[in-house]
Amino acid sequence: MPTLLTLAKLPMKTKRIPEDWIGVGAMAILCLITMANVLIRYFSDQSFAMTEEVSIFLMLLLTLAGASAAMRKDAHMRIEFFYETGSTARQRLLQLFSALVSAVFFFGLGLLFCRILFDEIKFAETSMGLGLPRWIYTMWVPLFCFVICARAVGLARRVSAKPVTEAQAE
Amino acid sequence: MIAVTLFGVFVVLMVAGVPIGVSLGLGGALAIALANADAPLLGLMAVPQNFHAGLAKYPLLALPMFVLVGSIFDRSGVAQRMVTFAVALVGRGPGMLPLVAILVAMVLGGISGSGPANAAAVGGVMIAAMARAGYPAPFSASVVGAAAATDILIPPSIAFIVYSVSVPGASVPALFAAGMFPGILAGLALIVPAVWLSRRNGFGKAERELPRPPLWASFRGAFWGLMAPVLILGGMRQGWFTPTEAAVVAVFYGLFVGMVIHRTIGWRDLFEILREAGEISAVIMMVLGLAGIFAYSVNTLGIADPLVKAVESSGLGSGGTLALLMVVLLIVGMFLDGVSIFLIFLPLMYPLMQTFKWDPVWFGVLLTMMVAIGQFTPPMAVNLLVACKLANVRIEETVRWVLWLVASFLVATIAVAVFPEIALWLPRYYGYL
Repeated sequence: MPTLLTLAKLPMKTKRIPEDWIGVGAMAILCLITMANVLIRYFSDQSFAMTEEVSIFLMLLLTLAGASAAMRKDAHMRIEFFYETGSTARQRLLQLFSALVSAVFFFGLGLLFCRILFDEIKFAETSMGLGLPRWIYTMWVPLFCFVICARAVGLARRVSAKPVTEAQAE
Repeated sequence: MIAVTLFGVFVVLMVAGVPIGVSLGLGGALAIALANADAPLLGLMAVPQNFHAGLAKYPLLALPMFVLVGSIFDRSGVAQRMVTFAVALVGRGPGMLPLVAILVAMVLGGISGSGPANAAAVGGVMIAAMARAGYPAPFSASVVGAAAATDILIPPSIAFIVYSVSVPGASVPALFAAGMFPGILAGLALIVPAVWLSRRNGFGKAERELPRPPLWASFRGAFWGLMAPVLILGGMRQGWFTPTEAAVVAVFYGLFVGMVIHRTIGWRDLFEILREAGEISAVIMMVLGLAGIFAYSVNTLGIADPLVKAVESSGLGSGGTLALLMVVLLIVGMFLDGVSIFLIFLPLMYPLMQTFKWDPVWFGVLLTMMVAIGQFTPPMAVNLLVACKLANVRIEETVRWVLWLVASFLVATIAVAVFPEIALWLPRYYGYL
């Protein structure tokens, strides 16, 4: 089933995980900042453009947190043509493969972002808008890459723990 | 060799069901590592940089905000009230409910920006209503699934936002304006076969006996929902707010309507609405960021060049190439979702666009029309799947109805391909081009 459908119409009644709170918080703050921007501009003809930097950061945070929550549910966009058809054994194999490839990828991406983070600290880079040290923003990216990796490993473990004999309606 | 690796790894992973973003990112990263074999780590630093660059774009903020608008209006109860008003307006009779479904989907298209959200909102109301009036469920599901596809053409549209952040020279306001008339044309193109099929097969005979709601009372009920597209589109047009700000204003307006006027949304629902919208946006934006890695390797490794040269020397010309692209997109659209199609094919199509001097805004509209068709063409069709789920039918049962709608939508697309002014007149009139 496609991701958007799974997410929109079959809300999983699972326990709330930290990523959910981060995503909800980021969404709410993004709405409030943007609305405040409209109102302030309307009443005072000024714009506080520096919030752009914060908004972009919150959007990045939202993406990483949401991607992690989606990884846990195996709800990322994919071609389901083979993934959700065929024998249970094949489906399990593909699920396992997908989760492990994702885990390896995000682990690697996390390592590369660590390298970027160290460079930013070493060269004391600062952000364009607010002049803050860049690592304050960047450090969350590798962290979340490793969290997504851990969620993918967790998914793989749950898939492999499922008994093969589990009958599945075609 | 590197090109083969890039596409080989990418296609194999994707077909096996690995998330599309991961397939794009891994294929791109491997190609970059191979191309910089003497210093792979140095070359690989392009991977995080392009991932970050793909996401850190301020205009992209419109995407999660419009997804949120869709989630809120989905629950706000405006769809039911719009349906009642539309029925009061057009009256009862065979073929009228399919007409209502398409019209309401188009108006909701002026609020939300994604097809599946629209299919859920319209289908949630219309499928039961059409069943009561004697329409077969597979037919109803086909109409709702196809009608919801007009959503990504009628502004606001998530597809246009993704296209705009990926293609230079196509601003969000220009694309939004350009989608208006093609969206209306597509809606008309669906109304004709939907009404004709109902009449020919005698569907909805029972509809005539159903009561017609009072016009004035139903208009008052639908008023708050009908004002939403006026606020969003009018506000952008008047220059009151940017697309992102229009979305956020619509968020607060939608919450006001849902929580205060219609009382369909409670405080407790807020967390779930924000969580759902955040997660849907994150899934889309993750593909966007990781596709940045793929696009970088396609561009810097010169992978598109031989392809472009082959097309140029094939003698197909501008029209022939466009026709070929549309056939390819029609097939790919059956298996891939719209955002992924944009992100995978744009690095390859952008050079073609420049070679043949296609207008990027017009091309974006055409591409979106093809993606819209893919949203309701079996076997893999997000909108149709949502509608089938609600109607409790299998997607195979819809084929004999939905293919008429696909054909008719395709005719509308060809019209926009042949007469670019259908798309370009409005943005030029507004001075966005």
